[in-house]
Amino acid sequence: MRTPLFGEHERLHAKIVDFHGWDMPVWYAGIREEHMAVRTSAGLFDASHMGEIFVTGPQSVPFLERVQTRSIGKMPRGKVYYSFFLNDQGGIIDDLTVYCLTPGERYMLCVNASNTEHDLAWLHDQNREGAAIEDKSPATALIAVQGPEAARVLKSATGFDLEGLKTYSFACAATEASGEIMVSKTGYTGAGGAEIFLEASHAPRLWQDLTAQGAVPCGLGARDTLRLEMGFPLHGNDIDETTTPLEACLDFAVDLGKPCFIGRDALVRQAEVGLGRRLMGLELEDKGVPRQGCECLKNGARVGIVTSGSISPVLSIGIALAYLDRGVASGDEVDVMVRGKALKARVVHPPFTGGTMCIIPKRQ
Amino acid sequence: MNIPDDLYYTENHEWGKAENGSMRVGISDYAQEELGDIVFVDLLPVGTTVSKGDSLGTVESVKAVSEVYAPVDGEIIEVNAALEEAPELVNQDPYEAAWMVVLKMDDPSQVRSLMDAQSYEEYVKAEAK
Repeated sequence: MRTPLFGEHERLHAKIVDFHGWDMPVWYAGIREEHMAVRTSAGLFDASHMGEIFVTGPQSVPFLERVQTRSIGKMPRGKVYYSFFLNDQGGIIDDLTVYCLTPGERYMLCVNASNTEHDLAWLHDQNREGAAIEDKSPATALIAVQGPEAARVLKSATGFDLEGLKTYSFACAATEASGEIMVSKTGYTGAGGAEIFLEASHAPRLWQDLTAQGAVPCGLGARDTLRLEMGFPLHGNDIDETTTPLEACLDFAVDLGKPCFIGRDALVRQAEVGLGRRLMGLELEDKGVPRQGCECLKNGARVGIVTSGSISPVLSIGIALAYLDRGVASGDEVDVMVRGKALKARVVHPPFTGGTMCIIPKRQ
Repeated sequence: MNIPDDLYYTENHEWGKAENGSMRVGISDYAQEELGDIVFVDLLPVGTTVSKGDSLGTVESVKAVSEVYAPVDGEIIEVNAALEEAPELVNQDPYEAAWMVVLKMDDPSQVRSLMDAQSYEEYVKAEAK
């Protein structure tokens, strides 16, 4: 599959990889350069492969209250929540953002590209309330402009004033060149900026206008190192149906006060019993790059496993997210086994670097 | 893509330069471009004996790890220590500054099993399709 921006990626000579069936750019000039552009100026991402599912009608609220973890009864128009679909065991089917278009009437769910089909089938399966569910993914493009210069770039390219928007909220605007755009002050980089939803046919023009204002095209490679530096989890790596939001230290996106949602009972039980493991950060003290699947040892005993790892372009050290057993605490030293070598690492609470905007509260 | 005429090449995209019974080894311009930003180079120490196809160490980019394989049988007699501090040299200058090891060849006639520049160019073109 290809996004409406595939032609732009080809024109920019991007290195294209297969990402869950999508032909996506992994980098254009190089991951490090693109990563630093986002940290110091502005980077541009094609996230059009992500899914946009609209849930509408009078049954939308009771349905959404049951299938996702945030309480939306009082969610105002223009607000965005980070949330989860959970299974009965409290495992994470997907992580998503919920957009309130019209309170009580109209909501958009933005889900992971690799899970869109599965999420849709699951939502239909769960829909005993009879809410209207519509998949608008194919017709919708998503462009993220991220970094300290993102607001300036966006204003110059579209006239939209991002400064007037609160973090984790969105607004719609009509633009001359790109038609109707929905601008959300969110992102997956910790660098601030916006994610812009628009009609697929208008996406190439907006992409060109944003690059003309100095935004640097960035691929999935930089997207991954940027989110990892902030400790943001990636579904399929750090969180999945076998891990719960509590284990992933993402409690902030679960409203346990809400009386009834799928997975709630399992989470309540887990909170009572206590967590056997938690998703934490590792900073390597030895040279090397931890990768997914590397085992973590403490005093020779296995205490965990790495779920995402790379080198931090900002810090120039290996960093990782890992599930570590109860008893391993921030500040502890562990060994990460990288191709048979034990590399020393310090357990930390992400983020690894200061971003300009952190969506996930610093873990205690 | 840069493919110098005076080097030998392998199917795994190493290059080798014959030097009086020894072979200087690195990875090709094509290989470094495919890997992207190199962040870490980890090579076996001097004195290690390897057979053709054995690993000489690993080259790590932001996204992936890949092995560097011995183009011929021999003993590692030199390792480029500069790459430890400056792995980005592999991207910047794969054929000169970023040589990785020098192998003392067991059998110098083994170079004949490697590709010349022209064959390698055809090989890369076919692989890129």
